[in-house]
Amino acid sequence: MSENTLLLPVIIPLIGALLIAVFRDKIKGLRQVVTFLATTAVLILGIQLFKQRLVYSLPWAGFGIDFTFRLYQFNAFILLAVSGFAFLITLYCMSFMRGKEHLSQFYAYLLVSVAMVNGAVLADNLILMLFFWEGLLLPLFGLIAIGGKEAFKTATKAVIIVGISDLCMMVGIGLVWYLTGTLTISQINMPASTLGSIAFILLMIGAISKAGSMPFHSWIPNAATDAQVPFMAFLPASLEKLLGIYLLARICLDMFKLNASSWLSIVLMTLGVITIILAVMMALIQKDYKKLLSYHAISQVGYMMLGIGTCLPIGIVGGIFHMINHALYKSCLFLTSGSVEKQAGTTNLRELGGLWRNMPITFICFFITAASISGVPPFNGFFSKEMVYAGALARNPIFYLGAILGSFFTAASFLKLGHSVYFGKRSRANENVKESKLAMLIPMIVIAGLCVFFGIDNKFPLKNFIEPVLSEPLHEEHANTVLFVLTGIVLLGAILHHLFATKVMGGGSFASDHIHHAPVIGDIYDRAEKGQFDPYNIVLWLVDKFSIILFKADRAVDWVYNGLIVNTADAFSTAVKKFNTGNYSFDIIWSLLGGIVLLIVMLMGLSS
Amino acid sequence: MLINIIMVPIIGALLLPLIKCLSVKLRNFCALLFVLISFALSLALVPTIYNGQTISVQLSSNIVFYADGLAVFMALVSASISAIIIFYSFGYISHYENQTEYYLMVVLFFGAMMGLVFSRNLISLYLFWEVTAIASWRLIGFFREKIQVLRADKAFLMTMFGSVLMLLGFISIYQQAGSFDLSVLKNVHLSNTAVILIMAGILSKSATLPLQTWLPDAGVAPSPVTALLHAAILVKIGVYVFARLFIATGFAIDNFWHVAIPVIAGVSALIAAGAAMIETDIKRIIAYSTISQIGFIFLGLAVGNEVGVVGGMLYILMHGMAKGGLFLCAGIVEQNTHTKDITKLGGLIKTMPITATAFLLCSFSVMGIPPFGGFFSKYMVMTSAVQSGRLWISFIFLVGAIMTMIYLFRVFNLVFMGQAKQQPVKEGSGTMTFSVAALAVLSLAGGILIYYPSQFLQLTLQNLPGICK
Repeated sequence: MSENTLLLPVIIPLIGALLIAVFRDKIKGLRQVVTFLATTAVLILGIQLFKQRLVYSLPWAGFGIDFTFRLYQFNAFILLAVSGFAFLITLYCMSFMRGKEHLSQFYAYLLVSVAMVNGAVLADNLILMLFFWEGLLLPLFGLIAIGGKEAFKTATKAVIIVGISDLCMMVGIGLVWYLTGTLTISQINMPASTLGSIAFILLMIGAISKAGSMPFHSWIPNAATDAQVPFMAFLPASLEKLLGIYLLARICLDMFKLNASSWLSIVLMTLGVITIILAVMMALIQKDYKKLLSYHAISQVGYMMLGIGTCLPIGIVGGIFHMINHALYKSCLFLTSGSVEKQAGTTNLRELGGLWRNMPITFICFFITAASISGVPPFNGFFSKEMVYAGALARNPIFYLGAILGSFFTAASFLKLGHSVYFGKRSRANENVKESKLAMLIPMIVIAGLCVFFGIDNKFPLKNFIEPVLSEPLHEEHANTVLFVLTGIVLLGAILHHLFATKVMGGGSFASDHIHHAPVIGDIYDRAEKGQFDPYNIVLWLVDKFSIILFKADRAVDWVYNGLIVNTADAFSTAVKKFNTGNYSFDIIWSLLGGIVLLIVMLMGLSS
Repeated sequence: MLINIIMVPIIGALLLPLIKCLSVKLRNFCALLFVLISFALSLALVPTIYNGQTISVQLSSNIVFYADGLAVFMALVSASISAIIIFYSFGYISHYENQTEYYLMVVLFFGAMMGLVFSRNLISLYLFWEVTAIASWRLIGFFREKIQVLRADKAFLMTMFGSVLMLLGFISIYQQAGSFDLSVLKNVHLSNTAVILIMAGILSKSATLPLQTWLPDAGVAPSPVTALLHAAILVKIGVYVFARLFIATGFAIDNFWHVAIPVIAGVSALIAAGAAMIETDIKRIIAYSTISQIGFIFLGLAVGNEVGVVGGMLYILMHGMAKGGLFLCAGIVEQNTHTKDITKLGGLIKTMPITATAFLLCSFSVMGIPPFGGFFSKYMVMTSAVQSGRLWISFIFLVGAIMTMIYLFRVFNLVFMGQAKQQPVKEGSGTMTFSVAALAVLSLAGGILIYYPSQFLQLTLQNLPGICK
């Protein structure tokens, strides 16, 4: 296969997007057909390219910035995953998006996103990667903004948050170039100096922000309510996670060779655990299907960061395995929420209930993926979480405790979600709800099936996709009986907690209210819900105050020209005027004085 | 050929009042044609320059024209953006009086710019410099209300103040080295007084702290004029002359300046960004944004390593296209809604989809988001600071870049999104929307086809004496 093939995963979706943009709705069904064909082609390419190792290189902007694509075992796997998700979610959209507004824009942006993600994954040059990586902001803005009348605010929020971190990454890349003299990712070997650590942090900010970790997370819950469900399943739940964690892994493993003794490893793990706990606490109290899922999309990133941050082979493999597992179950969970929204007309937990009889297939898919995210064996999430636990425990029990606490609340919130949507009392409005169309069911079934497969036969993805990423093979046995038992106890605890809470509070959707309205915590929750802890709001507030000061400085400078100079000139001329009254004798005196001064100057000129 | 690049627009401008007597349409067409001729002739120079040659033409002892990579690049940037702006004017200016004066001044201004770009002599450089000042004075005062006239005077006086100081600086160079010819002055070491005097001129023309405040005030001019002056040409004169003197001629200056000028530029970028966040007049916001972005150009040029200089020059190109687009979009909004106050606007994307999209895309380029051209230029100037070993300077500009994103989104959201606060208005005329769309597309092309301008600049600039190693 020639190396030009590497361009196709980027070019094909772009051509598709261009076709859609040109024809819009002039030809009926064209946009769906084009999107479907393009994503199918990309999927076929992804499969074909999986075993290939290719390099494509062209000179570009100079200063180390080359247009270099490189395909090797790690990104071949990511490419395959991306193309798979793109294909399945497009299929889902065919049915889900029917009758919605801005369809041409939606499909065009979808294809542009695929192109950008593929480009970022394939790039072997940091600036080329950032070119596609940050270029993703364009379709991101579009996809959120077409969601509704006020959605542009969320779109702006998303672009500004991700944009800020991308700018940090830009400086980080400059630093990498300064320190190593190259921008080719596969050749970079960063020193562990102070500047090297700053570069690491700047690049890490870009990576974890794309993945949606705290403190760069706050647009995701807003997007869950404003944007279309397929968008959530597509970008924040799967593709952006793949991108962010892929880069994080490459920074840690290839570029910086981070080891466990580095303080950066502690930073990464701490951020991971904080993200796990804070986000899951927010998820627990949500009363909306999609919003609840969106907080889990943040929380789960914490496990991946924790895993990679341990710098131990078992943790890294676990983190990357968790990345793909998460992309699977979270996108499927979002798809089930879309399915419920489409059929029942709402995602509000208080209005839903008893849907398992109406939508059995959606329910089964939900059940599998919810069990998977909660870490129930034998589904895939269990195995990756166990590996992350093992890594965390080996570093420090505190990290393990944080992670297992997160698991408890994850399980609790999914019990609450499942209970209030699929069981409990069915309201009259929901009685005639029907199961979704086949085009929506197939993607859900395929993904849920993969969750089962990656769980039962977890050796398959680990051996084929993930372990090749490490330079040395993983020797340790994955299973750790003590950890299994502890996980079992935690899950059991979550079930008991749920049973207890439902009984006391009276209903599945109220199962977290005792925590939500607990003293002290309740107050914190209220403030968090109002956005008082939102880093975005805090930054905007700071920038606003800072701007007021800067603006005053600008006005002060302007006053020098508009006030000071004008007034001085005015005062001067008024003063001089007093000596020019038209009085004859005054004029004579002035002329004489002037003549004398002139004379002195001339004499001085002669003498010198 | 070099002479024609300068003379066609200057003499052509003076002929425009006569041509107007024949036909108004012909006058408009000729105005555009003169600029396009300059553009075509400059383009024809590219192969020669690219092969490493330079061209010089001597008219008299003090008037020498000289074409190198820097000059040709700047000429191409100015000519291409000016041509689009003049095309836009066909629609915009057709409602107003004194059109002949407008076209005369615009083309004269452009011709003077060409003269300045190709000057190899400090005296002729100063002469053309002042011609641009006079032309811009008339253009800012195009609407003859009291406020416009006052603001035009302010702009003229402030830039004049700077340029007179600069002239003093030139004279002190003459005293030191005995010549005004830049080819003789290579690698002369300048005293700090001379640097301060020359910088006063450069900063005043490029509207940088502490001589920046004429620029937002000049926003009272017609929108194509603001695009021409504030985005594409006038404010670029200062940075261009900086590059011409300190990089292409290689005046040696104390190392201190390689830190001081970026810091001044950084503070200027921050202050202007802060002002852009607070202002509510759409054109003042964009004008402040220009001041802020000029800071980035100064950063690259003043740090003076190869990536910085190439990045600074690319920044001139990318910023000219994108910011020109923003001003022209603002012109469409202002002309159709009769207000410039962004708090009184809203929801215009429904009726002005092309303008809104062009505005957004140009904003992305100014913010430095790929795949637009602004991305590369921003990366290069930021990297130049890192490369010089002063990471902290790049952090000043990082804050500036973050603020750029926030205030541009603020404008876009208030003007084009949300609830409409006015009667629905129409989209701009065909020529106007075409112009803004063209600038947006060019900004995009600038990113994807970065190879060509970047390669040209690297080849022609790498051996200039002023590049820090």
